[in-house]
Amino acid sequence: MAYNVVGKSVPRYDLPEKLTGESKYAGDIKLPGMLHAKVLRSPHPHARILSIDASAAEALTGVHAVLTPFNTPTGRVAPDLAILDTTVRFVGDEVAAVAADSEDAAQEALASIKVEYEVLPFVTDPREAIKSYATAIHSGGNLIGGEPLILSRGNIEEGFAEADLVVEESFTTPAHAGAALEPRVAVASWDGDRLTVWKSSRGVHADKLSLASALQIGQENVHVIGPTMGAGYGNKDETRLAAIVSALAKSAGRPVRLELTREEEFVAGRKRHSTETTVKVGVKNDGTVTAIHTITLMDTGAYLSSGPGVVRRAGQGALYLYRCANVQYDGYLTYTNQPSGGSYRALGAPQGHFALESTMEKVAEALGMDSLEFRLKNHVGPEGQPGERITPADQIIDTQPVEGGVPFSSNGLQQCLELGSEAIDWQGRHERNANQSGSRLRGVGMGMFIYRGGPGTPTNAWMTLNADGTLQVTAGTMDVGEGNSTAIPQMVAEELGVAYEDVKVLFGDSDITPEAPITSGSTATFSTGQAALNATKELKSKILAAASESMGMPANNLEIANGVVKAKDGIASMTLAEVAAITGQIRTEASLTPGSTDFIVNSFGAHFAEVEVDTVTGNVDVLHYVAAHDSGNVINPQLATNQVEGGVSQMLGFALTEQMLTDPGSGVTLNGSFLEHKGATIQEFPNIDVIFADVYDPVGPFGMKALGEPPNIGVAPAIINAIYDAIGVRIHDLPATPDKILDALDRKEREGRA
Amino acid sequence: MKPLEVINPSTVQEASQLAQSNGTPTNLIAGGTDLLDEIKEGVVRPDKLVNLVSLTEMQGINVKPSGLDIGAGTTLAELASHSDIIRDYAALAQAAESVATPQIRNVGTLGGNLCQRPRCWYYRSISFLCRKKGGTTCFAALGENKYHAILGGSDCVIVHPSDLAVALISLDASITLSSAASTRTMPVEKFFAGPDVNIMAENVLTPGEIVTSVSIPALPANSKSIYLKAKERQGMDFATSSVAVALTLAGDVVSSARVTIGGVAPIPWRATAAESVLVGKAVGNVDLKEVGEAAVHRAKALEHNGYKIRLTSGLASRAVETLLSQWR
Amino acid sequence: MVGVRSHVTLNVNQAPLDIEIDHRWTLLHVLRDELGLTGAKRGCDRGECGACTVLLDGKPICSCQMLAMQVGDRQVTTIESLGDSSNLNPIQQAFLDKDGGQCGFCTPGFLLSTKALLDSNANPSEWDIRNGLAGNLCRCNAYGRIIESVKEAARLIAEG
Repeated sequence: MAYNVVGKSVPRYDLPEKLTGESKYAGDIKLPGMLHAKVLRSPHPHARILSIDASAAEALTGVHAVLTPFNTPTGRVAPDLAILDTTVRFVGDEVAAVAADSEDAAQEALASIKVEYEVLPFVTDPREAIKSYATAIHSGGNLIGGEPLILSRGNIEEGFAEADLVVEESFTTPAHAGAALEPRVAVASWDGDRLTVWKSSRGVHADKLSLASALQIGQENVHVIGPTMGAGYGNKDETRLAAIVSALAKSAGRPVRLELTREEEFVAGRKRHSTETTVKVGVKNDGTVTAIHTITLMDTGAYLSSGPGVVRRAGQGALYLYRCANVQYDGYLTYTNQPSGGSYRALGAPQGHFALESTMEKVAEALGMDSLEFRLKNHVGPEGQPGERITPADQIIDTQPVEGGVPFSSNGLQQCLELGSEAIDWQGRHERNANQSGSRLRGVGMGMFIYRGGPGTPTNAWMTLNADGTLQVTAGTMDVGEGNSTAIPQMVAEELGVAYEDVKVLFGDSDITPEAPITSGSTATFSTGQAALNATKELKSKILAAASESMGMPANNLEIANGVVKAKDGIASMTLAEVAAITGQIRTEASLTPGSTDFIVNSFGAHFAEVEVDTVTGNVDVLHYVAAHDSGNVINPQLATNQVEGGVSQMLGFALTEQMLTDPGSGVTLNGSFLEHKGATIQEFPNIDVIFADVYDPVGPFGMKALGEPPNIGVAPAIINAIYDAIGVRIHDLPATPDKILDALDRKEREGRA
Repeated sequence: MKPLEVINPSTVQEASQLAQSNGTPTNLIAGGTDLLDEIKEGVVRPDKLVNLVSLTEMQGINVKPSGLDIGAGTTLAELASHSDIIRDYAALAQAAESVATPQIRNVGTLGGNLCQRPRCWYYRSISFLCRKKGGTTCFAALGENKYHAILGGSDCVIVHPSDLAVALISLDASITLSSAASTRTMPVEKFFAGPDVNIMAENVLTPGEIVTSVSIPALPANSKSIYLKAKERQGMDFATSSVAVALTLAGDVVSSARVTIGGVAPIPWRATAAESVLVGKAVGNVDLKEVGEAAVHRAKALEHNGYKIRLTSGLASRAVETLLSQWR
Repeated sequence: MVGVRSHVTLNVNQAPLDIEIDHRWTLLHVLRDELGLTGAKRGCDRGECGACTVLLDGKPICSCQMLAMQVGDRQVTTIESLGDSSNLNPIQQAFLDKDGGQCGFCTPGFLLSTKALLDSNANPSEWDIRNGLAGNLCRCNAYGRIIESVKEAARLIAEG
């Protein structure tokens, strides 16, 4: 379809100010009289706080407030998380906080706080944590819900009975940190009973509710402002820090600011959950998949955070990526005395897909089938999974269904497999890498994936034609760096017939925007974008109605093009400013629950990697990477390409180098730094081809589907399968660091000699 | 950070006197890229910092027929981009280029690189009072030790983090230490001391002594050198293992060989067994596997660092192979 | 506790500034908290991420890992001395055109490293670009678009 604004690589809306240092991030907020806070953290992985003597700290010059579990509001930040608690559950858990004239003064004051702990037994290994005799980290025990989440379709026993061949493999993935460059920052200021908080946020309205609950004040008394967001990758949805500074600010009677140090970010931020997953697959000799049973044990650490959503999402690939009548997923989620897990781009999907797609590679190998051919034969098609629809006909279909019998709104997975394999020259891979010698060996690998396609929870948006003819889209969402503040005005401008530059954006302020969910689950552009589009349609008809009256022409003879209302078959015209001069300001509002009652809306993709493994150093060099995505119609190709490339490169760390390590004897985090938690630098960035399948989704606004998180999912499978192709050893435990590759080569050589 | 005073001396003599501290915790600071880490972490808590950055006596690279004199205040970026060093002392330029990032190389100095403290995460964390900090336990020996020593560690299993030291030892460099009272010069190799000598320090500096310069003798005719560094990622990383090799040929026979390995022991480790394998061999008769095996002679793995033996052995072979290929 | 303080003159963006500083303050602290130049970001405070990059006598350094007392009479250049959003300089324009950033927190540091690179090498190869920007982390990993932006910047500057 030919569009004027949608599908064009217009510049990122908020980039000019980011290029000059003018953008204000939460850390750049400076208020008159503002104090600086520091947090005292637990040295123990598990302890009860018996008493705290803060009198010496309070007496220090420059110290204005000290917060302890004994003088803190007792509301909850989350169901299992107090602002400050009398039990600490990991090394680094918040114990107390000080507000002082400077960060240095606050830091030095922490040393004067005397805490009496009763040290409790601790458990850092999830396998131990779920045992009945393990120390309970929260009342109710460590296994969340007391039992695993079990989801199934069909009957796996019957499915395995039909199989000619059963393959079972186990894998682990480590905790790894989102590690946004911007550390968490919160600034709080009270005006009487009314609180204003500036924080690095991915959802100002959700933060408002959480803070009101924690501080036990009315929602109407909380104002949350989300300044420019230094990214979060899903990782900054906690309000504990904001609650702490709010309580300190109340006590001190002055604004208070808290910025985490980088080490605190790694320790007390939120990490991708570590997992241990077993995948069992039954196939017939012709390659038909008859059963898939997946069991995941996931560590949520000291607090639940988004754990239930993460363990749910870790199973979706195994439940839905391959056409199969008999599937089951058992997800165990446990507390441990490790730093807390949380949301991180694509939640559990990368962990689940790594295990699934590594196992499927092995299945294809066992069948003697090319693994691309195996996937082309077995991937879920547009018709969906076999089985009966369970969701009532008038209800929206979940984007993570278990049931069969529901088709997809669109499904470009086959295109992704075909286009991607062509771009990497899959068919030629063995020929070009045959007869390799020397210490650097090449191989090619792939993995495919499925993910939620964009429908989220109910949301709102407003469109405004101002009295001077300017336009504004207003929404309670946040642009967390992914670009919804560009894509949404693009869609709005297209619908209205104006230029992209003519639409101003107002997001991220809970007082002056309508409620919207947090920017999560790759839903923001799809869902809040649809709301904005609906509001735009209404605004357009109001503009045309007003113009119709003024111009004396029927509205259906009018159109808006290039920002001007004009007769379709004549020369009469009115500018929007002229319309607004008559109407005054017009604001339209739209609310909606996004999704479809007829279709599953999902995004898809297939990733391919060609790597070179140095068998001397164990380093893996990614020579060529192909990321083929079905995210429906692409609103902004340049931003979309950036999003895919960024996700791929970010997850090279997950595949190859990144993990959070705690000392087993003490629970202390050992590598809380960018130096030691080894994310990709520009030196690692590979040559990436980004391909978008030609798909126009009938449900999504302007045919689009989700793209925020999907780029993260296919990376580990493609890389690990490529390493296997290159050197014949399979890495089961991420990340595939040189030590693991060299040790695996050692084992292989020993076995070869034996 | 707790309060401290920065003092800007105008001569090395004055700096040395200030550094003798008389009971006030005092540190020398040049580029500061390592020391400020330790201060911010609370691992080091000085009251005074003696700033060496503006001392012109410690600046500059002096190229002479007999070799190079390099002021300790010379930045890593200057070393990495100096055309004489790139041509004649390749291992040093390669080692300097391999350090950290452009930003760090623009301020980090030769002296600072040699005197930097170990990266052991137990040493760097205030949560652990390890032997190096006056405690009684080496937490790494039984803990997470994939980056730790396979050679020379007994009571303390740190690895020395300096890249330059490894190259300089293979280049047979000497180091000059100055204090208010005296000046002494010694081979770089002798500058470093393992935990068996002094568990609290990695070198023989005495209070008030300052590394002022390093000298490298001109290599004999028909010599070449190389530095290879293995790391987990290509950008910004310390060595999991590194190798510097300097070879001299007489005809097609190796007449002299110096092999030093880094990232594997509490001090830069001279691999004399590998040198013995090389010296006297005709180029065509060098058994690369034997060189590699000799480089890790007597290496012993901890629980998580067995890979370093294979890695170092392979890296040593590769370094020699690459260097020899440059003669072809 | 009150720290030791001194009056110093710092040369920031071509202007000498007399300022009283606490000896423990880093250059980054002085820029952000005393001078209000918040374009340099505190990403790690350990010299590991490059978000605080400024130029010192034209060379990129991490301002978080240098004490202000050590700066002396050297020239400090911050992002604020490049163009503003209504008047972008060619490097900024190139980053806008090629989408060389996502969340933007690392962006000022990348721009200053790019400026230093292009000032010394008007026509960098891709290897030069990767090497020159190796001290700047972008956790959004917008590296692909950043590399394209630097190439575009070199082109725009060459065109004048």
